[in-house]
Amino acid sequence: MYWEENIETAEASELKKLQLRLLNQTIKQAKKSPFYQNFNLNEVGSLEEFQEKVPFTRKQDLRDQFPYGFLTTDLEKSVRLHSSSGTTGNPTVVFHTKKDIQEWTNQVARCMYMIGMRKGDVFQNTMGYGLFTGGLGFHYGAEALGALTIPIGPGNSKRQIWFMETFGSSVVHILPSYALRLYSHFEELKLDPKSLKLKIFIIGSEPHSEEMRQQIEQLFGVKAYNSYGLSEVCGPGVGFECQHQCGIHIWEDYYLVEIIDPQTGKVLPDGEEGELVLTTLKREAMPLLRYRTGDLTRATSNKCACGRSHIRIDRIKGRADDMLIINGVNLFPIQIEKTIMGIPGVGKNYLIEIKKENYMDKLYIKVEVDKEIFEGTLAGLTQLQNRITEELRSEITVSPIVQLSEPGSLPVWEGKAKRVNDLRDK
Amino acid sequence: MAYHLSIFVENKPGKLENITKILSEKNINIYGIYVASAGEFGVVKILTNNLEKAYQTLKQEGFTVSKRKVTIVLLPDKPGEMHKLLTILSSNNINLEDCYGFVLEAKAQAAIVLEAEKYPLIEDVLHSKGYKLLPAEKLEEL
Repeated sequence: MYWEENIETAEASELKKLQLRLLNQTIKQAKKSPFYQNFNLNEVGSLEEFQEKVPFTRKQDLRDQFPYGFLTTDLEKSVRLHSSSGTTGNPTVVFHTKKDIQEWTNQVARCMYMIGMRKGDVFQNTMGYGLFTGGLGFHYGAEALGALTIPIGPGNSKRQIWFMETFGSSVVHILPSYALRLYSHFEELKLDPKSLKLKIFIIGSEPHSEEMRQQIEQLFGVKAYNSYGLSEVCGPGVGFECQHQCGIHIWEDYYLVEIIDPQTGKVLPDGEEGELVLTTLKREAMPLLRYRTGDLTRATSNKCACGRSHIRIDRIKGRADDMLIINGVNLFPIQIEKTIMGIPGVGKNYLIEIKKENYMDKLYIKVEVDKEIFEGTLAGLTQLQNRITEELRSEITVSPIVQLSEPGSLPVWEGKAKRVNDLRDK
Repeated sequence: MAYHLSIFVENKPGKLENITKILSEKNINIYGIYVASAGEFGVVKILTNNLEKAYQTLKQEGFTVSKRKVTIVLLPDKPGEMHKLLTILSSNNINLEDCYGFVLEAKAQAAIVLEAEKYPLIEDVLHSKGYKLLPAEKLEEL
């Protein structure tokens, strides 16, 4: 049931003691980097003292320190480099020592074991290999677990299905938006995915709603588990849902978790929503102290029914940078997805567009209809349109303009879905 | 009783043409076509000589399409006949979802396609008034 029972089910007090010990090792290691040398960092006697004395590290710091400012070891000790795309300025570059890769691999294997994946499973990894951590991170974890690993990478849906069918893939790592698109290829081939050996989907890398998860589970006849990670602290494997699907466990022997008020920086108590802040506890090449992830969520330390004591966070509500402000009202794209995906008659794709018209923000939501339940009347369609408009208005308190679109007419993406198109002048 | 097809389309240039192109390639004859629009989108109703072939073809091409029950009434093609028919329907409190027609033989015979919620009441009423209805199988050989 557990990959590492002792640590996964450790008492909270034991975990805290371990964290303090690892934290002081991390501080010592971090001080070797050009960036953290600038701070007067000393050993701390408690986690509270750490929170009082150590400032936050931000994504901008990583960009400013490009490329080696956070590196603590000689470059020769690093064996791997991952990087973000850097579309908005310098890319963020992350280095790994051999030990970092081993620890990362262990985290991913632990996550996979937690959701029921075992030696003997066939694992199809449809995530991108390369600088993106989603491909290699899972690849190493799955091999460590002993699963037959298919490094197929993204795209070419017919080939994906052929591999699933031919080799009996039981576990698939997939972007949630791509999973829905892949289903339409199954439909075209008149093949029911439920007739294959598919058992588990690992979905992550882009925010998605509970409603979308349920849709994926129903269409493919699988259990779909939410995976959380970010390349700055290693990649996937930071946290995962367990089989109870009641929040994402973050491994506290690897990370110190804080939730803060994104405006004031104040540490928030259990259960309050704010920005997730992570401190790495075992990283060698590039430890990060109090790193602001930008992800908004809530945390709870209550012990989970699965027996694991590690802290759980809610499904990510959005990134602080994803927040949209429409005529002064704050909202997150995930709220829109959650609402429309729960309405019968809505298809598999949607697009959010924001325009400026007569000095006012206008929110357009383009929604594909579900062709399977179209009953052929105009009245039925206008009812659907009105229902989507009403439910959105009550969820986001902004009145959207809902446009019904033909199935397959909205853009699809090879990688992460880009569902928000903000056409206002910045 | 017969069926026509109802297709969801966005209200944009070329959308109808996509449908007629596919049907013409499959050598399917269109008797009547009717568009109901709600601004940005609408539904197109099409009566053809080959319901199943038209339905399967459009479905395979990815259209959002469904079959709808219709009643096709045969009328003499002369002034006042349409009014007489509608008076009968309204006096029986039958509301129409869609209504369109085509002439079978000028000055002699026309066909009116009616989609009504109150089915089969509409057919019972029309039978009792002596109207001839066109059955689905006749559509293949008009």
